[in-house]
Amino acid sequence: MTFFIDANVLVYSAAPESERGRACASILRAVAAEDAGGRTSTAALEEVWDLERRGRVRGLTGLTDRAFQVLSPLLAVTDEVFATALDLDAPDAGTNDRLHLACCVRNEIEVIVSSDRGLDGGHGIERVDPLDEPAVRSLLA
Amino acid sequence: MLSERLQILVSPEQKRRLESEAAAQGTSVGGVIRAAVDARYTRAPRAQRIAAVEAIAAMQAEVPEDPAGLERIMNAGRLAEASRGVDAPRS
Repeated sequence: MTFFIDANVLVYSAAPESERGRACASILRAVAAEDAGGRTSTAALEEVWDLERRGRVRGLTGLTDRAFQVLSPLLAVTDEVFATALDLDAPDAGTNDRLHLACCVRNEIEVIVSSDRGLDGGHGIERVDPLDEPAVRSLLA
Repeated sequence: MLSERLQILVSPEQKRRLESEAAAQGTSVGGVIRAAVDARYTRAPRAQRIAAVEAIAAMQAEVPEDPAGLERIMNAGRLAEASRGVDAPRS
C-alpha cells in the first residue's frame, strides 16, 4: 500500500532517543528497503529543508539531502495538485497541509503518516500516527 | 542502450501535448517520454537508501517530543519570513 510521509516523520526520524523518533525511523527503514510504499512530495521535503536551514531545531544538518536519497523521486506539486488544494474541503488545514492532502488525492494515496493532528478531518485522507502500531503494521505489511 | 520497443495508445490531446513539449525541448516525443519515466520512477540504489536512513537515525536531533511543539516551530519560521517580506538567504 502506498502512503504519504509528512515532513514531521522525517524530522522525528533524526531523533532516535524518543519513542516517536524510533517509530518514524522504522517506517523510513521499511521504505528504503522497499518493504513499504512510502512517498513524499517536493512541498513536504521543502518544509524539512526550511527547518534544517533555519537551525531552530538542533542537529538536523544533512537531513534533507539524506531524506531525498531515500524518497526520490518525489511526488510533484503539479497544476492539478495545486488546483485540488485550492478546492479542498479542509478549513482547518494550512496551505502546505492542503498541498500534501491534494497530492494524496491526485496520486490516489489514501493514507498520510503524520504526527500532526491538524491533518485529521473529513477530506477523505486517513491520518496514521507513527505511534499507532497496529495501523503502521498494516501499512508495512 | 535503447533496445526495448513500447507501443502505447494515447488520446489526441495527449499526443498534441507530447509533440508540443518535444518541440519546446528540441527533442522527440520518445525523448520526452523517456525523460518522464526516469524522473518519476528512478530511485537511488537500495544500499544507498538504507545507508541514508541509518545516517538519519544516527543524527541525535533535538526535536520537541510534543508534535504540536514541532508544528509551532515549523509554522513560526514561515510566519517570521512572511512578516519580513523578504526571502532569507538560501543554503
